[in-house]
Amino acid sequence: MLESLPQPNTDHMDSLTTTTLAALELLFSGNSELWEIIAISFRVSGVAILVASPPALLVAFILAYYQFPGRRLLISINSTLLSVPAVVVGLTLFILLSRQGPLGEWKLLFTQTAMVLGQIALAFPILVAMGHSALQACDRRAWETARTLGATPLRALITIMREARFGLMAALLAAFGRIIAEVGASMMLGGNILHYTRNIPTAIALESSKGEFAQGIALGLVLLILAFTLNAFLQHFQGKGQPA
Amino acid sequence: MTTADQFNVHYLKKHYAKRQVLDEVTFSLQAGQTHLLSGDNGAGKTTLLRILAGLEKPDSIQIDLGMGPLNWRHVKKTLQQHALYLHQHPYMFDGTVNYNLGYAIGAKLTKRERQRQIDKALEWADLKQLSQAPAKSLSGGEKQRVSLARAWLKRPSILLLDEPTSNLDQESRHRTLSLLEAFKSNGTAMLLASHDPMHFPSLIDQHLRLDQGKLIRIDNQNLIEFDQTHPNFRSTA
Repeated sequence: MLESLPQPNTDHMDSLTTTTLAALELLFSGNSELWEIIAISFRVSGVAILVASPPALLVAFILAYYQFPGRRLLISINSTLLSVPAVVVGLTLFILLSRQGPLGEWKLLFTQTAMVLGQIALAFPILVAMGHSALQACDRRAWETARTLGATPLRALITIMREARFGLMAALLAAFGRIIAEVGASMMLGGNILHYTRNIPTAIALESSKGEFAQGIALGLVLLILAFTLNAFLQHFQGKGQPA
Repeated sequence: MTTADQFNVHYLKKHYAKRQVLDEVTFSLQAGQTHLLSGDNGAGKTTLLRILAGLEKPDSIQIDLGMGPLNWRHVKKTLQQHALYLHQHPYMFDGTVNYNLGYAIGAKLTKRERQRQIDKALEWADLKQLSQAPAKSLSGGEKQRVSLARAWLKRPSILLLDEPTSNLDQESRHRTLSLLEAFKSNGTAMLLASHDPMHFPSLIDQHLRLDQGKLIRIDNQNLIEFDQTHPNFRSTA
């Protein structure tokens, strides 16, 4: 009776285990090519987040704290941008940056700068949407108390950011998680050039297509470890911030 | 104070949708005097206080500055320099009581001088034992005292208080009142919005009542009469 049931494919299981072990070995053996890809990923995504965050959080603050004509429309447009696929963002920037495009003279295509631009475009709406929610949830009396106690608008803004820091940090982590794992825009704008624009997701795509699963899994593990570390950090930080 | 001892407000108007909340409101606040602002729910008491704190824009306002007409931005700046608004439920920043008091002190002072001032404020409001407590976890009465201590550090000419003793128990109310008395004796002009004049027996110098957007002055005689109609007054008489 039991023999008639389909049996799990142990070949595949063995293959996955072997590949994962090989990936771990590759990761911890200090393979320079692998670590270079990881470094490029972190550099590009880190710069993108650093550049995108201040204006995005300022926009989030304005949307949360000011009433003006077109505000709701802006919120709707931003929410729509959240669902734009990375490859479409990549394609749009590709057209703009290509030699015949309006920004072709900048000669940015297939550079890390182009990848940063693509990732900024992807991170911006996430930061605005989540930042807006975090700031809107912050008690309005915080702003008023700061202002009535003599804080300048800039100091009051910093105070509000501090009060809403857990929500804002979650926004930063979500945006960072999205851009460091995206493949479409990086592939189109960076060109997946070894030692220059090859990052974790584009390397995974390439290695998988070549049948080099160990390297693909190793890079996937890096992304998972990164996601876990960032979330653990956030949880720890939030735990510390709980009122006694 | 915009002049030595007096702060004059003229033609203050504010409307929401089709409702005129404040209609050509004109009044003066004097240094060292407390003005009670009463009125029904939704009469515009909080709106009036918030406008005077520069937190809300009126339709029109004139304040005595000894200068020509100024736009709202200038008026707002002047109001924010002179007046300090205390919410009905004070907001505590995320941090200790010490941090919250430090917020009211300018950044120009040295760390030592800042702490010296904070310590003085802690002593003034009897909060010494709570200096390292998370401010958000304090009771309503303690938060009110932190809020008054922050105001004390700012030394405003005008203190705008929105129902400062609502939801406080008798002891907390008593402590809040004694801190308000200290402000008064320091020469601070206070405009105090409350439903209940009976809570501030010795503090009030003048009673202003908002009724359908108009401000009505009630003299002391009327204030007493008003008090006599109060259920608390009758129950204790």
